[in-house]
Amino acid sequence: MDPLFLACSYFRRRKYQQCVDICTQLLEKNPYDQAAWTLKTRALTGQVYVDEVDVDEEGIAEMMDDNVIANCARPGTSLRLPGTGHGVPSQGVRPMSQSGRPLSGFVRPGTQGGRPGTMEQAIRTPRTAHTARPVTSASGRYVRLGTASMLSTPDGPFINLARLNFSKYATRPNLAKALFEYIFHHENDVRNALELAALATEACQFKDWWWKVQLAKCYFRLGMYRDAEKQLKSALKQQEMVDTFLYLCKVCVRLDQPLLAVEIYKQGLEKFPGEITLLAGMARIYEGMNNMDSAVSYYKDVLRFDNMHVEAIACIATHHFYTDQPEVALKFYRRLLQMGVYNAELFNNLGLCCFYAQQYDMTLNCFERALSLGEEQTLSDVWYNIGHVALGIGDMTLAYQCFRLTLANNNDHPEAYNNLGVLELRKGHVDMARAFFQAAYVIAPHMYEPHYNWAALSDQLGDLQSSYNAAKRAVDAFPNHVDSKELLKQLKHHFSLL
Amino acid sequence: MLVPIFTLNFKHKVNPHMVTIGKYDGIHSSLTCATTAGKVFIHNPHNRAERGGLMTFSNEGDLSLLSINQQVSAVCAGKLNPNIQNDILAVGTPTNLLVYDIDKNTDLFYKDTPDGTNAIVIGNLGTIDKPIAIVGGNCSLQGFDQDGNERLWTVTGDNVCSLALVDFNNNGQNQLIVGSEDYDIRVFREDEIIAEMTETETITCLCHMTDSRFGYALSNGTVGVYDRAARFWRIKSKNQAISIHGFDLDSDGVPELITGWSNGKVDARSDRTGEVVFKDNFPNAVAGIVQGDYRHDGTEQLICVSVEGEVRGFNPASDEMRGNLMDTNVEQDTIRELSQRKQNLQMELRNYEENIKAGTAASTILQSRAAAGGGGGGGPVSAEKLFPPGVEYNKTQMGIIPASTQLQTTLTVNEGDETKPPHVELFIATSNDTIVRAILIFAEGIFEGESHVVHPPASSLSNVMKVPIIPPKDVPVDLHIKAFIGYKSSGQYHVFELTRQLPRFSMYAVCDTNTPQPKSSCVFHVSERMQRVLMWLNQNFLLQTDLVAEGGILNVAFMSLRGAGPLMFQMDAAGQITIRTNDMDLAGDIVQALATFLNQEDLQTTVDFPDEMEKLREVLVKVDEYQAVRQKLTAEMADHSNLIRSMVVRAEDARLMGDMHNMRKGYVELYNMNRDLVNGYKIRCNNHQELLSALKQVNQVIQKAGRLRVGKYKTAVINACRAAIKNNNVNALFKIIKTGAA
Repeated sequence: MDPLFLACSYFRRRKYQQCVDICTQLLEKNPYDQAAWTLKTRALTGQVYVDEVDVDEEGIAEMMDDNVIANCARPGTSLRLPGTGHGVPSQGVRPMSQSGRPLSGFVRPGTQGGRPGTMEQAIRTPRTAHTARPVTSASGRYVRLGTASMLSTPDGPFINLARLNFSKYATRPNLAKALFEYIFHHENDVRNALELAALATEACQFKDWWWKVQLAKCYFRLGMYRDAEKQLKSALKQQEMVDTFLYLCKVCVRLDQPLLAVEIYKQGLEKFPGEITLLAGMARIYEGMNNMDSAVSYYKDVLRFDNMHVEAIACIATHHFYTDQPEVALKFYRRLLQMGVYNAELFNNLGLCCFYAQQYDMTLNCFERALSLGEEQTLSDVWYNIGHVALGIGDMTLAYQCFRLTLANNNDHPEAYNNLGVLELRKGHVDMARAFFQAAYVIAPHMYEPHYNWAALSDQLGDLQSSYNAAKRAVDAFPNHVDSKELLKQLKHHFSLL
Repeated sequence: MLVPIFTLNFKHKVNPHMVTIGKYDGIHSSLTCATTAGKVFIHNPHNRAERGGLMTFSNEGDLSLLSINQQVSAVCAGKLNPNIQNDILAVGTPTNLLVYDIDKNTDLFYKDTPDGTNAIVIGNLGTIDKPIAIVGGNCSLQGFDQDGNERLWTVTGDNVCSLALVDFNNNGQNQLIVGSEDYDIRVFREDEIIAEMTETETITCLCHMTDSRFGYALSNGTVGVYDRAARFWRIKSKNQAISIHGFDLDSDGVPELITGWSNGKVDARSDRTGEVVFKDNFPNAVAGIVQGDYRHDGTEQLICVSVEGEVRGFNPASDEMRGNLMDTNVEQDTIRELSQRKQNLQMELRNYEENIKAGTAASTILQSRAAAGGGGGGGPVSAEKLFPPGVEYNKTQMGIIPASTQLQTTLTVNEGDETKPPHVELFIATSNDTIVRAILIFAEGIFEGESHVVHPPASSLSNVMKVPIIPPKDVPVDLHIKAFIGYKSSGQYHVFELTRQLPRFSMYAVCDTNTPQPKSSCVFHVSERMQRVLMWLNQNFLLQTDLVAEGGILNVAFMSLRGAGPLMFQMDAAGQITIRTNDMDLAGDIVQALATFLNQEDLQTTVDFPDEMEKLREVLVKVDEYQAVRQKLTAEMADHSNLIRSMVVRAEDARLMGDMHNMRKGYVELYNMNRDLVNGYKIRCNNHQELLSALKQVNQVIQKAGRLRVGKYKTAVINACRAAIKNNNVNALFKIIKTGAA
């Protein structure tokens, strides 16, 4: 069989390594074989390719940039201050992530880390393997996720970028496109990629929308959002593509203009009605703005066009769960199970839904499945939830053990610390309880519960000053928490008597 | 006396000229000012009132900052979408224009303005159906509608400094008034110039008053009011006017010109006379003056903002104070005025008495001579020579000169020599032995400070005086001359006032028609008699003798005194006019002036300026180079800044972990990197400056090419040039400049 044909076949079957091997042999025989060269470039790219649209994580250092125009925009127009949304259950019902946003039903880049207020806080935020944010968007996780530049190749790199004459390649579209993707994805050398793209777009007299989108991708990585925006808009004028709309929205989100992003999604939907990526993007934006009613309605639209969309199902399920409809949530989670999603998280959620829907016979079964499937990180959450169930049925010993197990799996679990504190307090171990509360609120300053518990305990112990401070922190984290406010009022009254 | 109805302090610096006010939510007015570090702040105290509670003016928490991250060069708020009540905010930086909806926190559009953004105005212009945001940059004017589409593009003579929309010719549509650095105020009906007024300095501000009336301010401290192309009044101050605004402060139904000065003074002047009707003082320079319903009570206030962020709001005068805002005492004023008049009259009376004395003295001499029996020893006594020689009289005090003394003035072209540059010479002489003690010439735009005084030392006084004049531009100027005439020993002088007009093309001397011809030429056709053209030549050039056409062909040559080489003017019997000069500006000036004189509404010309075109080609090549370099530099810089960011985080990590050694290492690296970045920035800065000046040159060539045509052809040339530049079609550009059509 013709080796090149075989290589092509491997490439199509995504057996990139075999493809690369054959191409290497071909190139050894004839170093000027363009077909083999291109194929090898594409195969190497394919090995590490990650879709740019979904890789969106703001690095810690990006906080130093002021890409956002309005520092304090009107509530409901910014992603930075989720503010008061529509149809969101209160913090007391649906827990918040560190960014002040309710927990989402689907883990996406940027949903966990949140955006703490200051640089120092961002750096201090524990950066373990599961909560880490990349240092900058140009380094860190990009290098890990989608590039091979960290891997060492035995006989030097395939293409030596420093020796490449970009203007020669730029005039050959068949080579240039493959080469660009190689530089961008495989080498992760944005600067050279940008140079090549700039030359290539000039070589085709600015008539190829593809190059404009690639330019925009480079600009986006370099943090030059305005230039990216310009290129994308120009590309859209030439050729309307779903990808381009999505990139443009990404830029808008970075500029913190969610309403503009929604506007662009709507424009995209006019051209591509029923495009689920656009609909899902819109739903994510609304979710980010805490506008749950709109978010859920768009997730439902997504399901109308693609009833296998895991993200939509999961988010709707979470919404129902937290709005006190565990039975409905259960229906959605079961749908996920039918579709073949089979993991610890799902069983954990199913278990919780069963518990709240009073199907006790199923509850522990589900959790058992979850435990058998889970890894260390998820196990801690599963144990925590079992502890919760134990609390619900009044089995304090079991609960205590569960929370202990949680900490054994993940010693940074603030909720577990908090609950342990409460349990210790019930047993009368005041000092232990204080230590647990303190541990909880140091790890998770965004949770109001440990602050309030600490304040209430200090108040009882007579340490009014710490009580006052903690109560204030609780109110900061959850402005509408009645008990904290009540406590604060009492303390103020007390102080004024002195 | 009017007192501020509210005062507040932003505690932020405010950039001069960059103050605007808008109703971003469609209801409440918000002051918007640009401040340092590329930020714009918006003051909206009204949100709090909505939340309930008393509305008090303070600044805590009412300011929201917008980060523009570039130096802000202009701000303007206005309605771009006629269907929505909300105002939007346009922010200009030296390279971009951002149009931003504050209420929704969304960009309407973000455009590159490579020519810079010196001034922005938002509103309807001419027949364009939608409101547009007009941006004035270096030599260019651009207008964008709400979607960011370019609806207007044209060029103007120099960097634009100020813009205003005024219904200049009372046709119910707005015209655009543009003040630029070449001292000209131009009026555009869409992209066509309909009027041009020349001022004496850079026009820093323009504002609309009523109907076709508008106020202006110059960088030398002049403010004034124009009605259409005619100036009503102007005053000059040693301070600079920072902001002007038309507002009816004294409730008399016509707006006054409110001026904010660089020394912190704010005054209101009547629009007809320029008389001050109100004034107030800030401790610092004024940054801007706007009007708006700030207290939400249905009346518009005048709001003045100082550079230190102090704000004062004034309500228009109430009924009882109408027309009288100054707390002046009428009686005292009248007494002062009357005593002044009395003093003047007394002085006049004394002069008359002296004259009578002289008269009686002379007549007694005459009588005594007559008695002596027919003129013997003394000279003749006549009305001309009031004082016969030999008659002792104290002439020094009198300053009397013969009644028939006349002042002769001549304007000639002096080609200069080694010691003197070429100039126009104003020759002033008296008709007898009286001397010219001093001359005071007042003329706009020729002398620095508009007036020129010549007073030679007493030793070199004579009855003749020569004043060199070098007009910097080819514009007709009225010279208002005041000459002090008297005798050498006089203590008082007679003042002769006269006005001479300096013709438009005075700096050109007639020369031999055989001088080598310039390479460039401009050819066009007029259907007019040659006499008319001759008349124009005679009126507009300084000629010793009037020109005549020989054999039905007109052929004259001039030499520029400014060193721009020869200028040849030829006209044949068929009405074809050829202007040969290497100076494109000059050719344009001649075409414009001639077309105005001959009442030509539209005029198409064919031009050939090989030198200018070669220069343009070079500039365009340079622009391409600069742009390529710029892109590369920008990418490099962005890459470096990414590196810097990660270094900061690493160094801070080390600090938080108490690892001082690594932290130190990190920061040293960071420092070096930063120095690299700063150097790179300097290179980029220079590159940008070069690019800017190259782009300006391109715009200027287009403007010159436009000036070589008149009326619709002019607009057509400019638009075609713009299209060619947009498509990067250099050859088409040259062809358009040459033939006037694509």
